[in-house]
Amino acid sequence: MAILRPEDISSSRRILEALGESVDEIKGYCCGQPAYNSGYRKEAQSVSRKMLRVTRPYETVVVPSGSCTSMVRTGIPKIFAGPRGLSITERTKAFFDFGEFVHSHPRLRELNFELTGTIAYHDSCHGRRELGITSKLIDLLEHINGLKLRRLPHEEECCGFGGAFTVKQPEVSVEIARTKLGEITETGAQILVSEDLSCLTHLQATAEGDGRKLETWTIAELLDRALNE
Amino acid sequence: MSNFRTRAKLKIGHQSKPAATLKPIVRNVVRDSRLMLAERPANAKLRAQEARKYTLNHLEELHSQLRESCKKNEITYHRTTSSEEACALISEIIGQRQRIAKSKSMVAEEIGLTNYLRKQNKEVFETDIGEYIVDIEGQGPSHVTAPAIHLDRHRIQNLLNQAGLNVPDNSPLTLSHAVRNTVSDFFQNVDVGITGANAVIASSGRIMIVENEGNVALGLSNPPIHIAVTGIEKVVQNEQAALDIAQVLAPSATAQPLTAYTHFVDTPSKNQERHLVFVDAGRTDILKDDRYREILLCIRCGACMNACPVYTAANGLSYGSPYMGPIGAVLSPLLWPESFSDLPDASSLCGRCSEVCPVGIPLHDMLLNLRADSAAKQAGKKLTEKIVWLSWSFIFSKPRLSQGFAWLTKKILRLFKNLRKQTPLDPRRMPRTKRSRDAEMLIPLFEKESIPSKKQTSNQPSSLLEQFRVQATEVGFKIENEATTHLEKCLVLKATGAIAATGSVVFVEKDPFLKKLMEASDVTIMLDKETIVEFPSDAENLIRANGNALIMTGASRTADIEKKIVRGIHGPQNISVIVK
Repeated sequence: MAILRPEDISSSRRILEALGESVDEIKGYCCGQPAYNSGYRKEAQSVSRKMLRVTRPYETVVVPSGSCTSMVRTGIPKIFAGPRGLSITERTKAFFDFGEFVHSHPRLRELNFELTGTIAYHDSCHGRRELGITSKLIDLLEHINGLKLRRLPHEEECCGFGGAFTVKQPEVSVEIARTKLGEITETGAQILVSEDLSCLTHLQATAEGDGRKLETWTIAELLDRALNE
Repeated sequence: MSNFRTRAKLKIGHQSKPAATLKPIVRNVVRDSRLMLAERPANAKLRAQEARKYTLNHLEELHSQLRESCKKNEITYHRTTSSEEACALISEIIGQRQRIAKSKSMVAEEIGLTNYLRKQNKEVFETDIGEYIVDIEGQGPSHVTAPAIHLDRHRIQNLLNQAGLNVPDNSPLTLSHAVRNTVSDFFQNVDVGITGANAVIASSGRIMIVENEGNVALGLSNPPIHIAVTGIEKVVQNEQAALDIAQVLAPSATAQPLTAYTHFVDTPSKNQERHLVFVDAGRTDILKDDRYREILLCIRCGACMNACPVYTAANGLSYGSPYMGPIGAVLSPLLWPESFSDLPDASSLCGRCSEVCPVGIPLHDMLLNLRADSAAKQAGKKLTEKIVWLSWSFIFSKPRLSQGFAWLTKKILRLFKNLRKQTPLDPRRMPRTKRSRDAEMLIPLFEKESIPSKKQTSNQPSSLLEQFRVQATEVGFKIENEATTHLEKCLVLKATGAIAATGSVVFVEKDPFLKKLMEASDVTIMLDKETIVEFPSDAENLIRANGNALIMTGASRTADIEKKIVRGIHGPQNISVIVK
C-alpha cells in the first residue's frame, strides 16, 4: 500500500527513530493479500514467501497498514501447510502493526505529541476483528495533547473497500462508503484518521467524487504531524 | 444472465435504496441481539455450537435412531436425496387433497415446493404474514427470518390491496391484522399443513418448531395431515441439544428471549397423520468436505445477514438465491455450483458475519476458500484474471520491478486523475498520492459532544421467581397471585414449569391441547413456583415427559412489517399466570 502514499513511510520512520529504534525500509515487497483475497493462493504464496525471506534478518517488522499486518498474522499461516507452515506461523509473530507497536513501546511516554484540532476515527475491520487492536489505537491517539477525537456511532461497520470487492462490486462498495461518509460528516470533523490506508483511500476517493470535503490521514501521518522535537 | 452485481446495481440505483429501509432495522436487531445473548448463560453460544457439531459428527447414527423414535411416535419418516424427489414425495402424500396451509420453511423455498404444488393446481396458502406479503410480490423472501424486510409499509399496503385485502391505512397493526384475518379464514377449512422444522430430536422423535404468530400451531392442530420438511442436518441428539439451540436462536434472529411458541411435536392426534420429510440435496457431499462442512452447523437465524454491510446495501433479493447474505454467499454455490459462482465475491470480507454467528461458522474463511476454488476451477473462463495475477506475482517478486511499477502507477494516477469515468453509482476519483497541507481542516465544522458508547446493563433481579415475574410481564403475560377473572370463562391450564430468564411457561400435554389453546381467547395458567428454572437450557426435565411440549413466551405476535411488534395474531391474547 505504501505505493499510494510514500510519505507515510517517512512518517513511520520518523516516529520509530524518535522511539530510539534503528530502521531499515523494506521496499517493493508485498504480503500477498490482493491475490489471496481474490482466490489466487499460489500467486499469494510466491509473493509472500519472498517478503518473508527478505525480512528474516530483522528482529521486528513494523507494518504501516492494518490489513497488511492482518494478512501476515492471519492469512499467511493459512496458505502454508505442513511443518513449513508452523515455522512460518512462528515467524509471523515478529510482525507488528505500526500503531500497535508504537503503543506498546516502552519509550512512548518520553515523546511529546501535540496537535490542536479535531479528527474522526475510522476503525478498520482487520484491526478490529482480526488483530483486536482497537483499544490500543484509541489509547495511542489519546496521547496527543490538544487533539479531539470523534468516534463514529457505528464504528464496527465496514467502509466498503474490501480489496478485490471494490473492483468486482463497485456500486455496492460505494454505497457502503456513502453511509460511512454520512456519519463522518455528522461528527463535524473534516479529517479522518485510520490505521488502514486502504479504507482511507476508498473513502477519500468516494468523498471527492461526491464533492464532500474530507482529508484522510493514517495514524503514522497524524503522529508525524503531532510530534514535537 | 443477470448476476449479483447487475441485480444489486438496479436496487441501489432505485429511488428507494435498500439501505434506507434495512439499515435502521438491522442495526437495532444486531445491537439488541448482543444485549439479549449477554443475558444467557456465559457458554450459551458454545453449547449451541457443541449441539450442532455433535450432529455433524454422528449424522447417520442419529438418523437411524430417529427412524425408530418416529415409529414409536407414529410419525412417518421420509428421506429424499434431491429437491425433485422431495417435491414429488410431498405431492404424493397430499394426493387428491386441495387446500394446503404452508408456514415458513427455508427448505421449502430451497426445493421450490410452493411452485411445484401450484403447478399441480393445488391451493397453497402462505400463512406466515411476511411470506404472505412476499408471495404477492412474487420474488421470494429477502431474509431467512424476516421475509418482507425489504418492503416498507407503503409498498406492503399496495401489495395487499393488489391482492384484494382493501386495507384502510398502512400502520403495521392494520396491515398485520388484515393478513391475519385472511389467514384465519383459510384455516377454517384446510386439508394439509406444511411446516419447516428447527430441530428434530433423535432420542424422542419430537420435532422442534419455533414461531411467533401462531400459524404453525394452527397448521399443526387443524388439518388432518401435517408435513414437516427440513434438511437432513437438522436432526439433533436429544432435548437438551434442541434447547441449547433454541436458547440462542431467537436472541440471534430477532432479539427476543424466545419466540412466542416453541413447539415440541410428537404423536399426531386421532384421525391425523404426521410426516417428516428430510431433504439431502447435496448436503452429504458438503459434509465430506472439511473446508465447508461446518456450514451445516447453521441454524438459519439470519444474524449474519443483519450484520452484513453488503446485504444491507444491496438487500436479500440481489443474491437471486433462496439463501441470501453471508450464509447464502457460501451455501448457494455449494448447493448449486452452476448458478451462484459469483456470490462469494459479494463480500468485503469484513468478518462481522463470523463474529455474530451464534454457532461459530467461519463464514469469511469459507468465502475465501470458495474464491480460491473458483479461481482454480474456472481457469478457462477467467483467463484475463489469471493473467493479471500471474503478472502481479511476477512484478511483486522483484523489488526493482515493483518499485518501477509503483512509480508508473503514481504517474498514471496523477495524469488521469480527472479522466476516470464517473457514474452516479460510482463517482470515485483516482486516489491522491500527495499530502494536502491544508491545516484549516483540523478545525471542525461544528462543535459536538462525542457520542457516549457504553450502554447500561440492567440490574438482574435476585430470585428466580422475581426474575420470572419481570420477564414474563415484559413478554406480555399478566402475573397474578389470585384469580381475578372468573375461571369458568377462560381456559385453565396447569403449567409443567417456567423459565425465569425468558419469562416462558412450559406445558407437556396430550393432544388436542394445542387445538384447545388456539381456540381460546382468555387463558389462565397455574404455575407452581418451585418448578421455575433459570435458562431454556435448564428446562430439559420440564419437557421430558411424553406428549406434545410447548414453551410459551407471551402471546402471539409478529414483527414482519418494518420490525414493528404487533401483538394479537393467532391464538389466545389475554394470558394470566397465577403463581403459587
